[in-house]
Amino acid sequence: MIVQSKAQRRVRVVTAWAVVAVFVFPLYYWITTAFKNAKEIFNLPPNVWTFEPTFRNFEEVFGISLGFFRQQEVLPGGGNFYMAPRLWDSIVVAGGSTAFAVAVATLAAYSLSRMEFKGRHAFVSWVLSTRMMPPVAVAIPLFFIYKDVGLMDSYLGIILIHTVMNLPLAVLLLKSFFDDIPKEIDESALIDGASRWRIFWRVVLPMAKGGIAATAVLCFIFSWTEFIFVLTLTQTGLKTVPVVSSSFVTSTGTAWGNMAALGVAAMVPAFIFILLVQKQLVRGLTLGSLKQ
Amino acid sequence: MATVEYRNISKSFGSVEIMRDLSLSIAEGEFAVLLGASGCGKTTLLRMTAGLETISGGELLIGGALMNEVHPRDRNIAMVFQNYALYPTMKVFDNIAFSLEIKKLPKEEIRRRVEEAAAMLNLSDYLHRYPRELSGGQRQRVAMGRAMVRDAQVFLFDEPLSNLDAKLRAHMRFEIRQLHNQVGATTIYVTHDQIEAMTMADKIVLMKGGEIEQVGAPDELYDRPVSRFAADFIGSPTMNFIEGEVVANGAAPAFAAAGIKLDLPEALSAQPGQKVTCGVRPADLVLSGSGDIEGELVLAEKTGADLNLHLTVGGADFVATAPRGVEVKPGTAVRLAIAQEKMHLFDAETGRRL
Repeated sequence: MIVQSKAQRRVRVVTAWAVVAVFVFPLYYWITTAFKNAKEIFNLPPNVWTFEPTFRNFEEVFGISLGFFRQQEVLPGGGNFYMAPRLWDSIVVAGGSTAFAVAVATLAAYSLSRMEFKGRHAFVSWVLSTRMMPPVAVAIPLFFIYKDVGLMDSYLGIILIHTVMNLPLAVLLLKSFFDDIPKEIDESALIDGASRWRIFWRVVLPMAKGGIAATAVLCFIFSWTEFIFVLTLTQTGLKTVPVVSSSFVTSTGTAWGNMAALGVAAMVPAFIFILLVQKQLVRGLTLGSLKQ
Repeated sequence: MATVEYRNISKSFGSVEIMRDLSLSIAEGEFAVLLGASGCGKTTLLRMTAGLETISGGELLIGGALMNEVHPRDRNIAMVFQNYALYPTMKVFDNIAFSLEIKKLPKEEIRRRVEEAAAMLNLSDYLHRYPRELSGGQRQRVAMGRAMVRDAQVFLFDEPLSNLDAKLRAHMRFEIRQLHNQVGATTIYVTHDQIEAMTMADKIVLMKGGEIEQVGAPDELYDRPVSRFAADFIGSPTMNFIEGEVVANGAAPAFAAAGIKLDLPEALSAQPGQKVTCGVRPADLVLSGSGDIEGELVLAEKTGADLNLHLTVGGADFVATAPRGVEVKPGTAVRLAIAQEKMHLFDAETGRRL
């Protein structure tokens, strides 16, 4: 370790905390906004630290009464800002497309990493190139295709397009993880008599868990925050959180409190997902220590 | 146990031919070492034997059966890799048992075989650990255990000791060789370390540029290297070389270089005037006041058992081994004697032995 003077260390700590504060403050402000009533949101100077917390925004968004916290009138479900089903839509779409993308990408990446076939390198570049295409360019043609084949406004349709959108990155990312696993391990298993599938399933896949977790997190986040495909390819059947957030902007003003409440709620599933795969994530980062 | 025979093997990667017409046969139960510098094709030859690399031309026979198109798992071979290639997510027991499970042997049989191998390799206490919890030497032994349980007819080792420190390497050399004596399987062992080759092999196959330079028992390669390359590769410290020419010295020929004149055997097939290289092993040089070679001492290096005297002889670097206790100061002149039969003479142009 590099030796540092006390003053140097102090400067480092202060700078670190300042940087953390810059990143965390907007999040804090957004979360507190979700618990403020409409008037307090617009107070000048803003009530950053002290305000009267309310659950009203959440109650409206989820159509439930949190009356056990505070006595007030019960709100009926199905109001303008009732968004609970939309959160469910997001979970189904992001979860489904992540599972799909990771399953396909793992197989594809393993083959690209291990098997020799003609045009392999060209294939990898081509996979990457599909990622360069702006979604806007595809959205309109897709709209017509989806209408014709009946995928419009369906879970399957959105899961499919999100899977396709995530595949290139997932394949390349996983390929690099597989490339890091020494080929001798495959060869050793091959000599031991294992079939390709067995090598993949029993030997290589458990070693790539970390990489798969990291890839899954990325896919989930991309799908969770995707806007343009959901906007163009859905009507009333389903809508995910990013798209539905725009509906808080109404002719009578923007419902900032409700929007913040939905935003905060939308953070939770993603947060839980990342927490669940976190252990594997750390393993993935330390995989190198096993290799020898 | 089986013989391994290579008949006119060639190998190309794309348009690059790295091996041509290589023929070699390894007897049943023999410990053969493929020795050579990196890039000489020794690992490729081993991988072709295992079936991990296709054979571009020629025939490979194991136990008399043609193996060119046989899948690695059906060749009945076992291989130990340089980086051990253990399965890091499986415990030692499962690592060793993996091939037996694939063969669907009964559980009891698997347990018996794994425990037997573990006992032989001093691994019994580690069966429930992960490879990452083992030292380098233990990992190496697990890799060997994995090979042993399979009753393979040929064992292949691909530089298995190069990741270990010097002391452990010396110990593992002994263990591997002892294991071979116990198991008796035909073994092909790849290394670039001539000491490993010399200490372990029944037969050394010295390779250079995809071709076999010399095949023989360790002593044969040490005592009668067929070329300057072979002479230089085997032995530590390496052989000294003096460039000179053959001159007539009465009836017998002699070797002459700057300030040196050494008598050569009469039967030598060299003509006066022919440019030659004379090779002398450091251990064959004797400090002697009446010696024919005169040099100046640069440094006396202590190895413990003896001394390595670094000298300059006629402007060239020279090493001689002397018994410990010899006191020579750097800068002083020393004379060295060499017995005629210990001299190795090579054609300066072709590098072949004369």
